[in-house]
Order: sequence, then C-alpha cells, then structure tokens
Amino acid sequence: MKKSLVIFIAVFVGVITFLPFLWMISASVMPSGAANTFPPRIFPNKFDFSHYTTLFTRLNLTKYLLNSMIISFGVTLFSLLLNSMAGYAFAKFRFAKKKGLFKFLLSSLIIPAQVTMLPLFLILKNLGLINTYWAIFIPGMASIFGIFLIRQYAFSIPDSLIEAAKMDGATEMQIYLRVILPLCKPILVTLGLFTFMGTWNDFLWPLIVMTDANMYTMPVALANLMSEHVQDTELMMAGSVITIIPVLVVFLALQKYYIKGIMMGSVKG
Amino acid sequence: MAEVKLVDVSKIYEEKNKAVSSFSLEIKDKEFVVLVGPSGCGKSTTLRMIAGLEDISEGEIFIDGRKVNNVPPKDRDIAMVFQNYALYPHMSVYENMAFGLKLRKFSKSEINERVSYAAKILDIEYLLERKPKQLSGGQRQRVAVGRAIVRKPKVFLFDEPLSNLDAKLRVQMRSEIARLHKRLQTTIVYVTHDQVEAMTMGDRIVVMKEGIVQQVDTPLNLYNHPKNKFVAGFIGSPAMNFVEGKIVSEDGLKFVSSQGTLTFQLNPKQSEILSSYRDKKITVGIRPESFSAETKYESSVKTKLEFEEQMGNEVYLHFNVDGKSCIARMHPDVQYKIGDEINVGFNNFAVLFFDNAAGERIC
Ligand SMILES: Nc1ncnc2c1ncn2[C@@H]1O[C@H](COP(=O)(O)OP(=O)(O)O)[C@@H](O)[C@H]1O
Ligand SMILES: [Mg+2]
Repeated sequence: MKKSLVIFIAVFVGVITFLPFLWMISASVMPSGAANTFPPRIFPNKFDFSHYTTLFTRLNLTKYLLNSMIISFGVTLFSLLLNSMAGYAFAKFRFAKKKGLFKFLLSSLIIPAQVTMLPLFLILKNLGLINTYWAIFIPGMASIFGIFLIRQYAFSIPDSLIEAAKMDGATEMQIYLRVILPLCKPILVTLGLFTFMGTWNDFLWPLIVMTDANMYTMPVALANLMSEHVQDTELMMAGSVITIIPVLVVFLALQKYYIKGIMMGSVKG
Repeated sequence: MAEVKLVDVSKIYEEKNKAVSSFSLEIKDKEFVVLVGPSGCGKSTTLRMIAGLEDISEGEIFIDGRKVNNVPPKDRDIAMVFQNYALYPHMSVYENMAFGLKLRKFSKSEINERVSYAAKILDIEYLLERKPKQLSGGQRQRVAVGRAIVRKPKVFLFDEPLSNLDAKLRVQMRSEIARLHKRLQTTIVYVTHDQVEAMTMGDRIVVMKEGIVQQVDTPLNLYNHPKNKFVAGFIGSPAMNFVEGKIVSEDGLKFVSSQGTLTFQLNPKQSEILSSYRDKKITVGIRPESFSAETKYESSVKTKLEFEEQMGNEVYLHFNVDGKSCIARMHPDVQYKIGDEINVGFNNFAVLFFDNAAGERIC
C-alpha cells in the first residue's frame, strides 16, 4: 500500500518533469504555427522536419555546434588534467604552506563568479584573447571545487600504493598517470560530467567574451535566434533539441561511472 | 649480492623528537636481519630510510659500498613488501608483478619469464588474471612478495608483512619466507613487532626501543645473554619474570626480594660479580621455563597458585611474588590445584641480575 503510493508519486513527478521535455521534442517537428494553436496539443498531427534543415542550412547552426563542442571538450580536458594534478598534490605531497594555501583557495569560493567577470574580461582583453577559445578555456582550467573533490577522493588512496610505485621504479609523472589517474576514474568521470554540462549550458560568460557571431556557442546563438524569430516556436524548439542532445549522450554514456563516483564519494568521504 | 651499512643514522620528524637515534648496523650479504621492538620504536622509519622513502636526518646509509643518502628509491635496487600489501587495485596480479619490470623497460619475453617463475615459486600461477580484490589475504601477501622478487633486487625489505594474516597462515608464511630466503640468496631486512617471528626467522636480530638500538645479536644470544632488562623481557614468551630486591650477606651472599617472598643463595660466580652490590637494590630475572616442579634445585619459592593456563603440551602456572604476578612454564602433568601452596624450584644458574637504575644486565 505504502509502496504503491510512493510509486504513484514518483511516476506522477516523473511525468510532470518529462512533459515540457516531450513537448519540446514534439513541437520541434510540428509545422510552423502548429505549436501555438489553442487548445495546445502534445503530439504533432503532422511531422515536419523542415526546422532542423533550416537550422543547419540557413541559420548555420553547425558552426555554433562545433564551437560548443570544442569549448566544452577543451574545458573538460584541461580542467580534469589540472584539477587532478592539484587535488593529488594537495592530498599526497608534502610541501611548505600546503594547508594555508588550500584554505586560501577554499576561501575564494565565497566570492561570487559575477564579481570576477569584469576584471577577468579586462585581463583577457589585454591579452588579446577575446573572441578566441582561450577566453573560455583559461578561466575554466582550474576550479576550486574540482580540486577539492579530487583531493578528498585522493585521500582514500593509501600512501603505501604510491610508495610501492616508487619502489617499482616509477617517476612522479608515471605514478600520477599510471596509478593515481586510473584509481581516480570514478571521480574524474563525475567531475568531467559536471564540467562538460556546466560549460555546454553556460550562457553568460560566452556571451561576454564571444562578441563575434562566428564564435557563438549554442546557447548564445539560440538566444540570438530567439530575439529574431520570436514567433517561430517550432524553430526554437528544434534548436533546443539540438542543444540538449550532446549533453544527453555524454550523460547516458557515462552514467554507469557517474553513479559509481557519487556512491564512492559518499562512502569514503 | 649486497651489503647494507648504516652509520649513525638518525631520523628527526619534528624538532627535538628523534624517531631513530644513531642507528649503526652492518648487514652482511645474504643475511636475514630482523628489526624488532614494540610499536612506535622506529622500526618502520629505519626501514623506510633504507628504502629511500624517508629522508635521512643524520648519518649515512651504504648499499654495496655506495652511499645512498641522496639516491631516490628507484635507483637503490631494493624491493619492499608493505604491511597492507599495497597492490595496485586496477591491475591484475600479472600486471602488478610486471609493473616494475615494464617501467624498467624489460622485454616482453623477459617479463613473462620472470613473472611466470615467481608465480611458480609462490604457487600463484592460477591467480595471474585476477584483480587484487578477488584475492584472500594470504594470496595478496604472496602477490606482494612476487612483485618484489621479479625484479631480483639486491635487498628485500619487509615491513610487518604477516601482521594482517590469521595466526595459522602467519606461521605458514613465516616458514615460506624463510625458505624463499634460502632459495633466492638475497639480503633481507625484516621488520616485525612479534618476537616469535623475529626469533624464528632472523639470522641476527636488532632489538629497538624508543628509537634506540638495544642489542644486535643472534636469536640464541639474545635469549641467553640479553644486554638489559628490556631485551630480556621482550624476548621469550611468556615474558621473563622480574623481582626486585637486594643482595645481603648471610652465610655468603643472598638475594632477598623486597617483601621477602623470594630468597636464594648466590652461586660462587654470582657472588664474585655481585659482591660490590651488597645492600644495594637489584632486580633479578627468571624465565618461566627455568622453574620446575621437581625438587632437584636448591633454590625455590613457596607461594600460592593463583591460576593456571593449560596448553596441552605445557602449563603456565601463575603465582604471586611480592604482590607481583609471576609465571612458571611446566610440564602439563603437574598436579596442582588453584589455591594450593606450591613450592616451585628453579636453577639459580639461570637467574639474571639487572642493575636497578640503568636496567643493564650485571650477570
Ligand atoms: N610521518 C611521520 N611524522 C611524524 N612522526 C612520525 C612519522 N612517522 C612516524 N613517526 C613517529 O616516529 C616514531 C617511530 O615510528 P615508526 O617507525 O612507524 O615505528 P614502528 O614501525 O616501530 O612502529 C613514532 O613515535 C611515530 O609517531
Ligand atoms: Mg611500523
């Protein structure tokens, strides 16, 4: 009795959550104007894929999709590399002022991102990096949260493992690449997923640093479309579907590891 | 293949606190040396300095005549087996053993040959494809040893390798490691807190306490001629009984315990050495196995049996001397009941005398 109630609520919430998503997909394949009829319909009575063709031909979405891909993969790779190195170092290396430095880094978490945006923009501008991928790569390279996450995880790796590798003849780099990274896989996947989704969906920062239309990312390009084609709901929905698909693919592909990562984190703290 | 020499080696972790002080030792080629002592006495620290995992604060370490103070672990040609085995969880048993060889750029066929050989000696051939988490404790232990021997290092270091195993497996691995030593003919430095392990495995034993070497000797010499009270009490199980008292002259010299429960006449040799200790406080040590139920000895102690531990092959009798519990180890057939007045004899030639202040053995 109790169980069926739980299931009912879960299904109900699931349906409610899924409904807008479903409508987005079905509206994207409705003929122009069909999405705005009253009463609203959930399923299209006629399939029309012309919006997708329009996006990729007339509106040149391929370029933006490519920009988003490069930026998201780039930021994810750079940040995984640097965060894992830093997190590992903070967890396992002995160096002067380690604790103080880490506390300093942590304390900078309380500064809201918006506060740093203007100075960051000015710095990048002076470096001549505005309207290049580096304007997004560089600020995304290291994240305090990522370092923290990996540090916590790396604590659970026994010192003797690292020492065994040293005795086995591994250099510091080999220890990092062949022992630490493989062992950190679950947390790296989790962090990578967060970073990828965050970067892909980010709107404000790309809007600020990518003033050239050729450098727009998907969300920025989409927002631009929206102001031009306010009435064309079906076209907007098709754009949204395209935006969501890569994130969805990445998430589903890594889901197995991702859940493992979260579970491990909770056990090993 | 290699000698290891430590000259006045010290380790200072934090200011003032010396984890190891002035450790000097020459380990001969092919020798099996055991470092033993209570937990926290600096055994692991010493071993880790030999391995290169810990900086040497003072002194020098030589391996095969080469000073290695500033040589990183990978260039010391040493292998170490850790207490928690430290197997790489993401690698199979084969990969665990091959890892060090791969890093050292051995050819595939050479790696294969060495791993197969080691797996064969250690009887773990059927485990090569498994991951460490699919192994039992004893099997992990073997893999850890295997990983050390494939590299054919000059020196093996073991840090309490058996302490995570159950008692039966420990005894089995003990003899296996001893056999392995015979077979491989390498220098071994072995750390343990278990004196039985030390006694049964070591060619020579280094007894440590609070970072200071107490005595370096063969197992038998440690047992028969301990340098001080600490070594005497640490080696042997059950531990040696200590009774405080003083030397008085009464028909020659005599030992009388503080409350008078234990008194005995000194033999001529003891009298000669202890004549200067007349009327001074002194501690005697009697091993549980020096006691006997038979009345062939002149010296004896009259006391009440508090309780007994029957082992089957022997029995431990607990009794009171001067309010302190003492143990005698006897033949299992002795017929005493708890609460009985008993008269346990002992050979006073087997009694050791210790200086009360310094704890040094006098004779
Ligand atoms: N990394 C360290 N930092 C500070 N003190 C340490 C460290 N490692 C060991 N010690 C101290 O050094 C002493 C000897 O430790 P250790 O060599 O591990 O003892 P054992 O192996 O004989 O049990 C202990 O008092 C211990 O607290
Ligand atoms: Mg130790």
